[in-house]
Amino acid sequence: MAAPSLPAWLALQTRARTLRAFSTAVSPVTGAPRLSPPTTERTSKHERAPRRKALPPRTEKMSVDQDWPSVYPVAAPFKPSAVPLPVRMGYPVKRGVPMAKEGNLELLKIPNFLHLTPVAIKKHCEALKDFCTEWPAALDSDEKCEKHFPIEIDTADYISSGPSIRNPKARVVTLRVKLSSLNLDDHAKKKLIKLVGDRYCKSTDVLTIKTDRCPLKRQNYDYAMYLLTVLYHESWKTEEWEKKKTEADMEEYVWKDSASEKNILETLFQIKAAEKNTELSKEELLSTKEVEDYKNSVVSLKNEGDNENTISQYKESVKRLLHLM
Amino acid sequence: MSTGIMLKGMTRLVSRVHKLDPGRFSHLGTQAPQCPVAHLDNQVPTERTRAISRTLENDPAKHGEQHVGQHYNISIQELKTVFPHGLPPRFVMQVKTFNEACLMVRKPALELLHYLKNTNFAHPAVRYVLYGEKGTGKTLSLCHIIHFCAKQDWLILHIPDAHLWVKNCRDLLQSTYNKQRFDQPLEASIWLKNFKTANERFLSQIKVQDKYVWNKRESTEKGSPLAEVVEQGIMRVRNATDAVGIVLKELKRQSSLGVFRLLVAVDGVNALWGRTTLKREDKSPITPEELALIYNLRKMVKNDWQGGAIVLTVSQTGSLFKPRKAYLPQELLGKEGFDTLDPFIPILVSNYNPKEFEGCIQYYLENNWLQHEKAHTEEGKKELLFLSNRNPGLLERLCAYL
Repeated sequence: MAAPSLPAWLALQTRARTLRAFSTAVSPVTGAPRLSPPTTERTSKHERAPRRKALPPRTEKMSVDQDWPSVYPVAAPFKPSAVPLPVRMGYPVKRGVPMAKEGNLELLKIPNFLHLTPVAIKKHCEALKDFCTEWPAALDSDEKCEKHFPIEIDTADYISSGPSIRNPKARVVTLRVKLSSLNLDDHAKKKLIKLVGDRYCKSTDVLTIKTDRCPLKRQNYDYAMYLLTVLYHESWKTEEWEKKKTEADMEEYVWKDSASEKNILETLFQIKAAEKNTELSKEELLSTKEVEDYKNSVVSLKNEGDNENTISQYKESVKRLLHLM
Repeated sequence: MSTGIMLKGMTRLVSRVHKLDPGRFSHLGTQAPQCPVAHLDNQVPTERTRAISRTLENDPAKHGEQHVGQHYNISIQELKTVFPHGLPPRFVMQVKTFNEACLMVRKPALELLHYLKNTNFAHPAVRYVLYGEKGTGKTLSLCHIIHFCAKQDWLILHIPDAHLWVKNCRDLLQSTYNKQRFDQPLEASIWLKNFKTANERFLSQIKVQDKYVWNKRESTEKGSPLAEVVEQGIMRVRNATDAVGIVLKELKRQSSLGVFRLLVAVDGVNALWGRTTLKREDKSPITPEELALIYNLRKMVKNDWQGGAIVLTVSQTGSLFKPRKAYLPQELLGKEGFDTLDPFIPILVSNYNPKEFEGCIQYYLENNWLQHEKAHTEEGKKELLFLSNRNPGLLERLCAYL
């Protein structure tokens, strides 16, 4: 390592000496003599071709009704000289404004969709129309689509120019189905939701199965359909151990046989005993309107949580039940 | 920081108190509507402001809708007997500063009073739960109710803060009565002392109905007054927890017979079903059921007895492992607590309404608590309203700085 660096250093020394001599002799205009890098070509200001002046940016020559997709046909970085918009981006320092677009790194960093204006997309669609078949006329509303085709399959194809046409991302298959279109009873639905876990969205009632474990798209599609079939059939079966389901496993609050029911019955029995009423049976007590109201309010309180509505409903029903009004 | 300023305010007021003539104090005690002779701030409390902030009606039984927003006076002797424990610490400081105890009459308390007046003592005890955000006045509403019941000659079973029983307990003994449970001698003995002060006259009347053996030498015979059990608990601190348990059991049994009326008032009842920060010697956590005090108290708040009422508050202040913003009953009680207390009547305690806010400000102004020159102007009041959002606790803390 030391041996090659020594001659380089010597060469540097000699070159520097000659350069210094040359520059001081020729041009006092150059200013402080700088040590040029030890390259073979040395360019001084005289030998370089005169630089032509910077042309005005292309934006000044653009007309308002030009064909924009030809300016940005593909995804390209932001070119300030080619985009005629006075865009500003940046954090304004004190008494300042955001930086202009010329030489703005922030505008380069972010993704831009200048190649996907509505006009450009329309052109893409027109070009793709030749490869498409017509939409069936009978399916003109969302409900009809859902009724006849409840399962939706999402796949993606990728085209790129390169040595290989394969893209491993193309094997992903997403299967979406609404549970209301499946024939499930109450127990089956609860079991299915427990089996799939996170894949079920409660607010939209959509089960999403995403598969990518097989190497081919076709295989993944078959696997997704197989999963759906298995889930459906398994959720209809009832196993032995399902009988041991405890209150903690319940998805929603069930009033029958709950602690609340016991409490209220005890309380009512004591009230009746105090008033020396005739022995009322449990069923009669449960069927009175006040108890019904109370039951509904407790169920809503437990299922929906506390809010003013549920709490005031609960309060009213308890007051009526305990004859406090 | 705030205590420092509180002290400064107090010393300032105390110095002013010395300058005023003593006639002012007797005037406050009797509530006679006369203007005071010497007044430092050129603010003469007119009849109108007095009508907004105070009422002459000192018996909670007669409080009604027209008294909302007004303060009524509790005499200092009554304070000592009815509230040996249980008032919030800042309120105690305020009582000491102003030399009078004035509670504001508010809607939730009036609602509860209405229910209590119409209770049917043959029915099982009804549970009322006061809930609300931090600083809205749950504890003071509870104190209002307790004062009412004390005036009506009920037996008051007041647990000032159940959270104190589940945390920071130095000495935990294994219970003598039940090996699985733990005793808390210190907390139990403190509570017994205060209970005795509050209910002196009842303790000699009520007779225990069982024989209780404390140890080889001491026992309480059947038919002896309850005061003996309480004395035993205070003397022998080791047996204090068991004494508390016996007191609770006897009271529950006997109130059903109709001898007296029982009010069970627990502040921070959500501590009974939460978690504790106490650990055994092997550092495993203790659940609340394993504490004898909590176990007995849980039996008390069930509604399987007659002849009284149960008033509870759920509070996040002092609670363990609960988020700061939680104030709704189900959040704080949890599933177990709710199932045990069900059915109960939830009563919301909210921030001051404009009338109550006005009354509170007038009360502070009359007592010369607000020394800032802008305090009595409209903009000052608007500022206080904005800063405190009519929250009683916040307002009290803000006014302490003025």
